[in-house]
Amino acid sequence: MSFNDRIAQGLESGWKVIDGATLTENHTAEADVVIVGTGAGGGTTAEILAKSGLSVILVEEGRLYYQKDFKMDELTSYANLYQEGMSRTTKDGAIAILQGRCVGGSTTVNWTSSFRTPDETLNYWSKRFGLDGVSPEAMAPWFDGRETRHSMAPWDTAPNLNNDILRQGCEKLGFSWQIIPRNVKGCWNLGYCGVGCPTNAKQGALMTTIPGALDNNASMYHGLRAERFVMNQDRIDSLEATAMASDGITPTSVTVTLKARHFVVAASAIGSPGLLLRSKLPDPYERVGKRSFIHPVNASVAQMPKLVDPFYGAPQSVYSDEFNFSSGVDGDAGYKLEVPPLHPAMSAGVVPGHGDEQAKNLAGLPWMQSVIALVRDGFHEDSPGGTVSLRDDGSPMLDYPVSDYLWKGLRRAFYTMAEIQFAAGADKVRLMHLDSDWYSTWADAKAAIDGFAMEPHRVRLFTAHQMGGCAMGSNPEESVVNGFGEHHHVSNLSVHDASIFPTSIGANPQLSVYALAARNSSRLAQRLKA
Amino acid sequence: MTDPLSPTDELDSLCLDRRSFLRTGLGGALFLGTVSLTAGLSGCATAPAGRLGAVDTRMDARYQFQFLSADDIELLEALLPAILGSALPEQANARRIAIAGTVERIDMGIHKFGPANQKELRQLFDLLNFGLTRVTIARVWPAWRDATAEQADAFLQRWRSSSIGLFNNGYIALTKISNVAFYGHQENWQLSGYPGPPDWAVQALPQFRSA
Repeated sequence: MSFNDRIAQGLESGWKVIDGATLTENHTAEADVVIVGTGAGGGTTAEILAKSGLSVILVEEGRLYYQKDFKMDELTSYANLYQEGMSRTTKDGAIAILQGRCVGGSTTVNWTSSFRTPDETLNYWSKRFGLDGVSPEAMAPWFDGRETRHSMAPWDTAPNLNNDILRQGCEKLGFSWQIIPRNVKGCWNLGYCGVGCPTNAKQGALMTTIPGALDNNASMYHGLRAERFVMNQDRIDSLEATAMASDGITPTSVTVTLKARHFVVAASAIGSPGLLLRSKLPDPYERVGKRSFIHPVNASVAQMPKLVDPFYGAPQSVYSDEFNFSSGVDGDAGYKLEVPPLHPAMSAGVVPGHGDEQAKNLAGLPWMQSVIALVRDGFHEDSPGGTVSLRDDGSPMLDYPVSDYLWKGLRRAFYTMAEIQFAAGADKVRLMHLDSDWYSTWADAKAAIDGFAMEPHRVRLFTAHQMGGCAMGSNPEESVVNGFGEHHHVSNLSVHDASIFPTSIGANPQLSVYALAARNSSRLAQRLKA
Repeated sequence: MTDPLSPTDELDSLCLDRRSFLRTGLGGALFLGTVSLTAGLSGCATAPAGRLGAVDTRMDARYQFQFLSADDIELLEALLPAILGSALPEQANARRIAIAGTVERIDMGIHKFGPANQKELRQLFDLLNFGLTRVTIARVWPAWRDATAEQADAFLQRWRSSSIGLFNNGYIALTKISNVAFYGHQENWQLSGYPGPPDWAVQALPQFRSA
């Protein structure tokens, strides 16, 4: 079968794409700019710089997967497209980390929700971190531009029932709700965004900026792990990288040395601090890897009287911000309410349990509905975030202690989610907590939540949004890069990904990453062309 | 991939791991030290089972294990009936095949977890497989191959309800890798009422057409 998708055609037409697994000898390559990472930040940067006429090399640790590989199968996708084969967690194992590891990064596997950075967040950044350049007014044209580039628009098809139940519950309780903007073009409404879009409808980096960069003569290595920068006085001289075997896991003995005038790191809020730490770049105030944020997520599942089929249809189309900023930007922990898609492996991993009881839980999947709460972390002194550090083998890990402030927010979110599900007509509700039973009434659920021990492991926690760790700010004593992503101490290094966020966003972060990367890349292009 | 470790550090990290699974509380590190030291004496690593004879193991003899050792496989064969409960077929042969397939998919999944999480799981499996810690920490008296489903279930319940977070974490790790490998497998989709990708889409998409 021949494919005529964007990637297959590009490869056919002679794109410079190099699979690390095919390399047999060490070599050196050079460009104006080397970009580490091919996700929201790296892809945007590569396209803008390449279109400006600069020569660009992209480096991706994961492999290139595209339509031919996207067969709507959870197990193969989780194994190949996600960090650590979907087993990544925080240091203590208490929070599951869902994060992409492939060309396109998390944009290849995200659920397409496309929110602007909330005004409250941008205003807080301006005020608290001296980032006047990222006011809502200053950022508006960049959001506009990226919304066009990635075909982002509120979902104009009816939400699936999984999402509509969130809407119904909010309506009943008088909570606000909205339709989610999605980055899709000609979407088939199948529901498989999380395992690689099978129809190429999703306009993530894989279908937009990566092809845009490669069409403009950029080169891309995939299956190549950025190990460390080599400094020469106050500048980076080169990047040392290791080729990975075709399993994507095993390093080979082949080393690639990449030289450039300028380097851009966009390897994610875990990967970027990891690379900077491994490289021992100047960090006089020890800010690298600090203040890492994750929008800690807890969840509730409901058994509905009608078939929900939560595995079909656009995975996220309805959200509620009723509780996101209701206590002010820096008051009690706020949370955004959304819905996750539920396929069998995902559900089996999220709903804790074993034995006959678990068999029964899973047998009820077609009637299952779920709400998730994404807690806005980093806006309060009792929410200082986590820390990225290096394991003995040099790989990065995130330690994220959940503070009492956040536990309180998570408990409030449990109440809200259960109340919404009952209001929407749920027969039973179960909170994702090891001590939760199925509850038949809101009163029973409420009483049970009152007594929950809010502790790591007992509360099932997740994150799909990793942010911070190379924070931007005007003050080098409390940040790693300036308001344009330029490193405070290394003159030819920029950071263009979610790691520069000084707090979490309060919304799914892809558009925040795209917009800041576009703004900072346009400036970088001018600087390098000058 | 980072600075070369000194030989002492390397020995330390491989054999007497400081980030041991049971680092805190209840003298867990002491027990783990014993386990790891024992493993150390026999070469510092538990060898993957590789290709096992079908007669020995009831497995597909073509499958090459990349992570699980023969002991791990026995452990999982003892735990899976308790983890999967009534989702497993009753008929003996079908049941054996379902368990064997799940064990293989667990192995495939763990291979993709990469070195760091493999190390964590190695510690967990070694702790459960080593007699002294199996009895004292997991509180399972018989060897896993002789343990009943009731004993396996009681162990899982203890770790689930324990007030010690590390045991909760062990419970989640064991049940999650098993449940995902089992319910995520196409042949078991019907157990969760999942019909699979819509047929009309499969018919229409080029990646499902054979060459």
